[in-house]
Amino acid sequence: MKKSKMSGIQKKYLKYMCTLLILALVLSSICVWTYVRRNMTDVIVDKYEFMNEKMGIALDNLYRKTDAVTAEIILENDVQKSLKNKELQEVEKNALSKYFAYIDLNHVADYCYIDNKRNVYAKSYSQIGYSDFQSSGLREKMGDEYAKTQWIWTRDYLFGTGNEALFIGRYVNSMDYAHEPGIVYLKMNQQFLESVMDKDRKIAKDVAVGIISPEGKTCIRQEPEDLSIEKRTMKKITELTRTKKSGVIVRGKKIEGGILQAYRQEETGMVIFTLVPDMVLNQGMMQILIVLLTIYAVIAVLAFVLSLYASQTFTRPIRQISDAMTSFDGNDFTHTIQIHTDTELDKIGHAYNEMLKNIEEFQNEVKNQQKELRISEMNTLISQINPHFLYNTLDTIYMLARINGEEKTMKMIQALSKYLRLSLSKGREIVTVEDELENVKSYMEIQQIRNENLFRYEIECAEELKTRWILKLILQPIVENAVKYGFCDIFEGGLIRISVTEQAGQLTFSVYNNGTPMEEQMAEKLNGLSEIPVSKMKDSFEDKKHGYGVINIITRLRLKYGEDVRFFYESDTNGTVCVIQIPDDGKENCEQ
Amino acid sequence: MEPSVLSRSRMTGKKTVNSRRIMAAVMVIAMLTALTGCAGKENTQTRKKNKVVEIPMILTVDSSTGNKNEEEVVERFNRAYKGKYHIDVDWVMETEEEYRKNLKRMNVTDELPAIITDLRMLPSFYQMMIKKGRIEDLTPYINEDQEWKDMIEPSVMESVREEDGKIYLGPVSTAAFACSGVFWNRELFEQAGISRFPETWEEFWKCCEKLKAAGITPLALHTEGTAWAAMLLATAEVAGSEEGAAFMKQLYPDTYQNEPGLEIAGTLKKLFQYTTQDALHNDFDVAHDNFVAGNAAMIPNGYWMIDQIPEEMQKKVCFSTFPENKLIGSPETFGWAVVSTYSEKVKKGAVEFLKFRTKLNKEQKEELLNSRTRQEGTLLDDYLKAYTGNPQIVPNYQVKWNSLLQEDVLGECLAELAQGKITEQEFTQAEDESIRQFEEEQ
Repeated sequence: MKKSKMSGIQKKYLKYMCTLLILALVLSSICVWTYVRRNMTDVIVDKYEFMNEKMGIALDNLYRKTDAVTAEIILENDVQKSLKNKELQEVEKNALSKYFAYIDLNHVADYCYIDNKRNVYAKSYSQIGYSDFQSSGLREKMGDEYAKTQWIWTRDYLFGTGNEALFIGRYVNSMDYAHEPGIVYLKMNQQFLESVMDKDRKIAKDVAVGIISPEGKTCIRQEPEDLSIEKRTMKKITELTRTKKSGVIVRGKKIEGGILQAYRQEETGMVIFTLVPDMVLNQGMMQILIVLLTIYAVIAVLAFVLSLYASQTFTRPIRQISDAMTSFDGNDFTHTIQIHTDTELDKIGHAYNEMLKNIEEFQNEVKNQQKELRISEMNTLISQINPHFLYNTLDTIYMLARINGEEKTMKMIQALSKYLRLSLSKGREIVTVEDELENVKSYMEIQQIRNENLFRYEIECAEELKTRWILKLILQPIVENAVKYGFCDIFEGGLIRISVTEQAGQLTFSVYNNGTPMEEQMAEKLNGLSEIPVSKMKDSFEDKKHGYGVINIITRLRLKYGEDVRFFYESDTNGTVCVIQIPDDGKENCEQ
Repeated sequence: MEPSVLSRSRMTGKKTVNSRRIMAAVMVIAMLTALTGCAGKENTQTRKKNKVVEIPMILTVDSSTGNKNEEEVVERFNRAYKGKYHIDVDWVMETEEEYRKNLKRMNVTDELPAIITDLRMLPSFYQMMIKKGRIEDLTPYINEDQEWKDMIEPSVMESVREEDGKIYLGPVSTAAFACSGVFWNRELFEQAGISRFPETWEEFWKCCEKLKAAGITPLALHTEGTAWAAMLLATAEVAGSEEGAAFMKQLYPDTYQNEPGLEIAGTLKKLFQYTTQDALHNDFDVAHDNFVAGNAAMIPNGYWMIDQIPEEMQKKVCFSTFPENKLIGSPETFGWAVVSTYSEKVKKGAVEFLKFRTKLNKEQKEELLNSRTRQEGTLLDDYLKAYTGNPQIVPNYQVKWNSLLQEDVLGECLAELAQGKITEQEFTQAEDESIRQFEEEQ
């Protein structure tokens, strides 16, 4: 089975990393796209807005120019004279007709001045009469303005072309008298209005530009070849002429097909508009989009590679730990791991190694205990097999001693037999206090035979306490130590006093000897055994020769009664006393 | 045990997945919210703008002193109506004649300011403006405003009212500041041994002779600008007779070839014998400069010139009525009109300004006449004495005579008359020709 090159954590890490990265890129691209598009739109719109406003101002200036030129016409002496009641002379009329040809205004296609006596002044080749003027419909379009310069976009029925054209008309009033006014008309050619775009023609090539008359008619319109303005869009644009506002009336308004700018010339009501098609906006955006996507792709690749690299720093030791743990068979404790990442993983690795070591120690201890248990069981079995043979043998020796009249031998064999019977106790662990006392008593009698006059003993135990239960062979090792160490310096007069009492619900055994008091250092050491773990007690005595009996007693007591059992020595000049306090009062046989 | 552990772990896993999804959703929403917040537009605050109504006006700057005429009333109005109306004055350095011609030009080119002055000094133009509806009928405003009505002296009210009862000129309150007499240089008079201003026309001519004999040019005159200074003297002189006074009251006289007409022509001719050499073909500003410079001993003009005389000259200059206790005055000439083509807001403000002016004029009159601090011997004191000395008020020829005569004939023919190139009869013939032409155009 092929092992996956990537760990689960790494996969998950990369999965989340990729998700987060994609989310971040998507959100940032939305944000950047929105922001850039808006800014881009703003920049483009600003550019064309400025252009449109500039053209609007150019239209304003154009109006001012026509206003100034027609004002000049009005104030012209001959024009004023033509308004007086007296007819001008033919020469004057001819001169006046020619005067209009020299006015300071470009792109005048034709002109016509009608005084208040129905005289028409036009180009010499024009055959325009008053009736032509009347039927042209131009006068009706002048309205009731007094002397305002008016721009009229209408079909030319005055000069007979029939085409739509811009007429600049103005009433010419007498400066002094309340005479009927004359009217002057200047017919402008197409270049006149187009001149507002002259300076911006280059910029305007990508957008739709046009001028709409107050009546909503398109005077001029210029748009890129690949752009055609929808009828609905055009309708919206022509609706702008309804407003009474002037100057910039629409600033960067999004409409169908693009973004609209419009400027309304105050006096003429003409609206100059610029429609920036979506195409122009998108062109700039496409380039930005390509750059954006390229940057994002690079970021994504870099992020993936770096994530892979960064994740390996953590996943490699984790995998090492994982491999070590999964491959551990419970026997090989040498397979430790070495992790150096300067992170918490180092601690995990170290902890694993420690754990391995502890398990090994624990395992060894368990093995040893099991071994000891097996030996103990074996001994128990052996001791259970042999008692009958042992007792029969002792009875035979006893009979031989009796035959020979050896009293001491008889007494000793009797005591040994009792001791052994009680020690074996048919393999039971718990015995009555009475049996325990009998046992220790037998032991002491044997010792008395061995060491004549060395000591005497006293046993104090209330009758009711004799039926209590106690772990067997507790007192004998203590008495053995008392004889062995307490009476080592005397040859007679020793006393061993064993008392059994009940204090505060605790069954208390005390073994007193009046021999050489136990050294304080030894007493402290023995008393300290209760504080250290059972497994460590064996190591308390370096020479392994001393304390074995006491350690055995304490171990057994702690294993049987738990940590609340108390075992301690007290010594003074009068002797040494060993106290054992069993937490339970021994009323019940806890072996059962 | 195994199944329960698995199921618990599955449940825990499901819960974890759910909580993760919720967390992810919260994060996405938070990020989107943050992004939306980032991309959000700044709240725009709408600002209320109190639009001040701008009222355009053209006023002249005195070419001699540099003083802005009517500046006080404009400034006081602008202060009083701050935030509501503002008189936006275009101060122009023009002579009165230039200014009046420009009014006509501005009218035909539709460039008139909202308030126009001096209109009544162009009688035919004024009539044309009424006829063409170019100026506002102020009658409803005045009639409906009792406070305003009460400010206007009856004589002033009468002077601005047209034959049909309508009022087109926002009047001043009083005629007290509308009169013209003669400003004379006491120092020059004393140099010629003259101690007081002549009280009769005979004394006047003798005075001129004496001044001339003393090497002092008696009169500061001019021919352009309707020959204002000379015409004041000539028309004051003619009003001495009953026939002459009646002639001056006529609107558009039928002929000048009559006794008063010839008398005026004769007086004009005589006057130009006592004036400066630069009087011909020049306007009032030249005459004014001559007088202020001490080059001429007398100049006829009105109350408004008191402020235009330099301070150092004030003590030397006296004001007197024309001989035989006459003052020339037509308070309607001080009426200002509101141009009709402006918006209602502007016109309302303009009318408010005219009322303000009337009120200010009334306050000034009361302050002047009741002032305890009035100083004896000052030019102002002279004027008040002349005005309150029960003078004969002769109408201003400018509001009575046709424009052709005033603007063309006087300018062209008076110089010829003064130079002796034409006779008095020929001068009056030219005047009558103007009547004919005028009537023809009418």
